[in-house]
This record gives sequence, C-alpha cells and structure tokens, in this order.
Amino acid sequence: MSEFLKILENEVQLVALAFMGTVYLLRLLWMFRFKAPQDFSYGVGSSKVGVAYSMMNVAMPWAMESVRRNWSFYLQFVIFHLGIVAAISATFLIPYWPQLFEIKMVVWIFQISLAAACFVGILRLIRRISKPALRLISSPDDYFSLVLMTAFFASGVFAVPNKHTASEWPLIVFFTMTAFFLIYVPFSKISHYLYYPFTRYFLGKQLGHRGVFPRKRGGEKPAGLE
Amino acid sequence: MNEKSISIEDVVSLPLDPKEQKKAVEEKVPCVAEGRLKVYDPNNNNVKKFLELLKSRLNRSVVGSMTGCIHCGMCSEACHYALARPDDPTMVPAYKGDQIRRIFKKHFDWTGSIFPWWVHAGSPKNDEDLNRLKNIVFGTCTGCRRCTLNCPMGVDTAVLVRLTRGLLTELGIVPEGVFVVSKDQWETGNQMGVTEEEYLETLEWMSEEISEEIGDPNFKIQVDKEDCDFIYTINPREVKYDPRSIGQAAKIFYYAGESWTMPRFGWDMTNFGLFSGDDKLGGYVAKNLYEAAKRLRAKRIVISECGHGYRSTRWEGYNWAKYAQNIPSESVLVTLIRYISQGRIKFDPSKNPLPVTFHDSCNLARSGDLTEEPRWLLKRVCTDFREMFPNRADNFCCTGGGGALSMVEYKPLRMEVAKIKAQQLIDTGAKQVCTTCHNCIDGLGDLIRHYKLDMKVVQVIELVANALVLPEKKEKK
Repeated sequence: MSEFLKILENEVQLVALAFMGTVYLLRLLWMFRFKAPQDFSYGVGSSKVGVAYSMMNVAMPWAMESVRRNWSFYLQFVIFHLGIVAAISATFLIPYWPQLFEIKMVVWIFQISLAAACFVGILRLIRRISKPALRLISSPDDYFSLVLMTAFFASGVFAVPNKHTASEWPLIVFFTMTAFFLIYVPFSKISHYLYYPFTRYFLGKQLGHRGVFPRKRGGEKPAGLE
Repeated sequence: MNEKSISIEDVVSLPLDPKEQKKAVEEKVPCVAEGRLKVYDPNNNNVKKFLELLKSRLNRSVVGSMTGCIHCGMCSEACHYALARPDDPTMVPAYKGDQIRRIFKKHFDWTGSIFPWWVHAGSPKNDEDLNRLKNIVFGTCTGCRRCTLNCPMGVDTAVLVRLTRGLLTELGIVPEGVFVVSKDQWETGNQMGVTEEEYLETLEWMSEEISEEIGDPNFKIQVDKEDCDFIYTINPREVKYDPRSIGQAAKIFYYAGESWTMPRFGWDMTNFGLFSGDDKLGGYVAKNLYEAAKRLRAKRIVISECGHGYRSTRWEGYNWAKYAQNIPSESVLVTLIRYISQGRIKFDPSKNPLPVTFHDSCNLARSGDLTEEPRWLLKRVCTDFREMFPNRADNFCCTGGGGALSMVEYKPLRMEVAKIKAQQLIDTGAKQVCTTCHNCIDGLGDLIRHYKLDMKVVQVIELVANALVLPEKKEKK
C-alpha cells in the first residue's frame, strides 16, 4: 500500500472525523441554546411513551398513512439507509480490520448493499427531477447531497474488495469522498439525522402527553367510562 | 366533483385590506389603542420587525422543524390542498413550511447565511413579500396537522404556519376577517362579540324552553353559581346561531342530576389566538375561563363540542397563559359517557334511525385525545352508525379549520379543495354527518351546499338529547 493511501485511510479520515464531530457538537450546543417548550396542562397519556413511540416511528411503517399507501418508498428508505450503514462501516473496517474483506461472502454482502443503495439513489434522483412538487422544493443542496451519496455508494462497491495490490484507485476515490463527506455533511441536509431526535422528541412528548401517541386504531376504552 | 382549478397566483397576490384596521384606529377601539392588537403601518420597517419577532419566538421544538425537513415530499400525499390540486406544486406542505424556513435559514442558520442560494435561503424584501407570505399561511393551510403525522422526520409544518401567522398578526398583515374576530375577542372576551345582555337573555330563553319541555317550573340555567361540580363553557356560535345546543346540554344535565353553572364572563372556550398565532390573545382568552372556574370554585371545567375550542382550552391555553392547570377540564363528550355508564341518563337509539357517519375534527383527533369517545356515544344513541374512511387521526380536514371560515377571500380555493372531504362523505352513504366541532359544522355545511350533497350536519349532543328517554314523571307534561 502506498504511503498516500495509508495517510488517506488513517490520518486524513481522523482529522475529517474530528472536524465533523466538532461541528456537530457546536450544532448541538446551538440547538440547546433555544428554550424547550413547557407544558402546563394535565396529561391524559404518557410523554415518555409518546417519545418512545415517536422515535420508533422509523421502524413502524404501518404507523403513517403516507407509508402505508407507499410501501415501495419505505422499502427504498430501508435499502438506502442500509447502504449508508454499509458505507460508513466500510470506512472503518477497511483500514482497521482489513482481514474481514478477505472473506468473499462479506465482500458480496457489502457490494450488494451498496449497489442496491446506489440504485435507490438513482431512483430517488429521477423522482426528485420528474415530480414538479419535488422540483419546486428541492435546493441545490438536495440534489448535490443525493448525487454525492449515490456516487459514494458506487465508489464503495469497487472499494470493498480492498485489493490495493491490484489498483489503489477505487480506495483512493472512496476515501477521498469519505473525507469530503465528513467535512461537508454537517452543513448539508445529510445531517438530518442530527435533528431527527429533536423533532421526534418534541412531537412525541406533546402528543404522548395528550394521548394521541401511540396512535389509536379503534377499540380503545374511552375517557369517562368508569 | 370536477371543479375548475383556480389560479394560485390570484390567491397569493390578494392585497392587504386594512379597512377595518383603519376604522378601529379612528374609533379608538381600546385593544388597538393600547397596542394589544396591532394594525398595519407601512412606515414600521415591517421586514426588520418581522425578523426581530421571529428571533424572539424561536424555541427548540420550532428550530427542530425549521432544520429537520429533508424535502422528501411525503407530505404532498397527506395534505387535502395538495391532493385536490395535484398539478399545483405550491400546495405541498413542505413548500408552505419553506416560506418561513428560508427566512430562518438566511438569518439563523450557518449554511443559509453564507451560501443562501445553495439551500434556498432568502429574506422578505418588502411588505409586498410579507403580504404574499400572509396569503400562503392564512389562505393555503388550515393547520390540520395531517402532514405532521405523515412526516417521517416529525416536522410540524402546522406549527411553522401558526408561528408565521403570529408574526404577521404582530404587524397587522392579516386577512380582514382575522383582524375583526381578534378585535371582538379582545374587546368582549368572545370571538363573536356577544354582549353580556345577549348572552344572559339567551340563557334565560333556553331556561324557559327547557323548563316547559321537562315540566319543571323551577328549572333555570344557573349563572355564576359558586361551588358547582363544573362550569359549562361554550362556543359563542351557540349563543348567536345555535342556542338549541345549550338547551340540549341543559336538558341532559338536568336529567343527570348535575350541579353545574355557566360563568357570566369567561364562558367562551373558543380561542382565535390558535388561528391567528397570537399567543397573547390566546393566553388572555384562556385565562378568563380558568379564572372564572377559580372564582366560582368549580371542581371541573366542561367544554362543549368544539374542536379548536377544546384544543385551546384543554391543552394550548394553559401554555399560552403560562397557567399551571389546577382543576380537571374535559369535553362534554366525556361527561356524557360518564352519565351513561353510571346509568344517570337513559336513551333509545331508535329515535335516531337515519344513517350517520362521524367526522373527526383535526383539533380533537390530531392535536387532542378524543377519537373513541364520540364513536362510543354514537354507537349507543343511533341505530345506523357508519365509519368514514380514513378516520380518526387520518381523517381529512372539513376545510373550515384554521380560522378559514373568517377569511372569505380564500373561500373559492377552500371549496375547490373540499372535494376530498366531499368524496369521503359521499362514500359513507350516510344521510347525516356528525361532528363535535362548530367550525366543522360550518365547514361541512359549506361543502355540502357547494357539492349539493344529500346530507345534514349534526352534533353528538343533539343526537344524545334526541335519544333521551325521559323518566315517567317528567313525561307527563
């Protein structure tokens, strides 16, 4: 392995990761500067249950009508995010546990996950461009983030075999993109996972307190029934 | 059902009409003279003021919704405006939320303040832009929260819309109807400007009617009686247009042997602050009611059937007024369930033979806790209850929510998007649609007339009162 790739896989990644961590920390401090809303009313449900329900929403496709009516979109969401998990894992596993990628099955699992996510990325890009409503609300950041992710998945497909003896280029591309990602992500929509706990927490807290979450499906005991 | 789609440009370019505001200034209406209700002033540097107000209103929950939208577009399948106008991308809730989000990004977010074009950040340039914003947040969203519950990120677009409405209200950049109703509620304590004399006369009239009906000459709706089990709070629409509902409630309370009263002041459980986004008005109105209960040493507050009134009084009002709740407050539906389960009133469902469906008010189903209660009652007091689909928290808005009924300039758009609700009603095959909200009564009434549906709107209390089986001795009259 060349010295350049070695530095790219290690020092460069660590510096970029530290940068991302610092920006995220600042971002969280910024969020906490804003006051949390208070509730002065008696509750009928549990805020804690509401928060848990709200947070778990991502794993409950039946809980939202928009998903119930559009299962393929949820499937795409799962595939896309599994691809993200695979790509992020690969950025750590390749430099620090390279033996893992000597197992063919592992390489295939990673490659299939990344290729599927890449395919979903392309579908999402087509959807974003072809739907007028999505075109209207999409900013350059929305397009760029999606293109970047899709390209990242594609580069991952070629990088995970970790054959630097054959050619270092797939790894150089993959790790250069990773470093760029780590620096760019905190300023882009990709950092939405940082805000997810906030939006979900407050929605769950309020609606749990009011007994709206967990969602009622009928047959629950009405209030006032002794 | 094929309505001609109206041009959205005609809606968002509707000019500000400050006629009523000028009149209020000339007449030195106290709430305006004292600055509680703001009027439009073109020399106020409104954009700067708007940004200052926005800064002061941000909290962690709001900032979450400002930063959390990923523009996935899932909300487009939840909103009745977007569904009814599929070729109009400006109807998508994310777009409506983006109108305030872009300002937030430009002034409070890193990327947006440095590279605004990259994230569609921007700032209103003048009052014309603020007026356009007014038409979007007041005219193209009823704040029903259906998009909120269908957002994978949990972004609360309705909260952003209400926040923006509140900022514009502080600048007097509001639809005329919003100004008039706010003024009435500030001035008289109720949003229909009902005078104390009118209110007491109506209660007197209803007392006489019920007294005659039940054959008890001593029956009287008690006003300001202390130490009762509860105070009954109502919608001023009941005084103005539907006093029978007060009589129906009074009759049921009588047969249940209830100890109750109605306050002389602080009886309006509706709250226009919810719609205008004015927390000060919201807190003032809610506090009047809470203080009435305290003054009369009531053990509970009972709220008559009203979606936004229930949400405001039961949930939001305590927060707007920063008033720690000290006695329970409940919907009259819960009170009715208690009477039935305790055997305090008897009923005969055959008195309500017409097929009836139930429309969930957005404020009760998505922002409140009442979905099973009305169904429990309807299944007992009617012979043919038919569920509407989708229902409960997935139900569609009646299209009259969010104060839309007071904003006549947006009615053509409201009627166009009402086709979603109209289809829902038609599909039930019912002859009556029951709702627990006065806004919904008018919203549904409007669309029933517009789409010429063979259906009438009723309330739960009306059906319960109609099904009442009177005790022998009381039936002699």
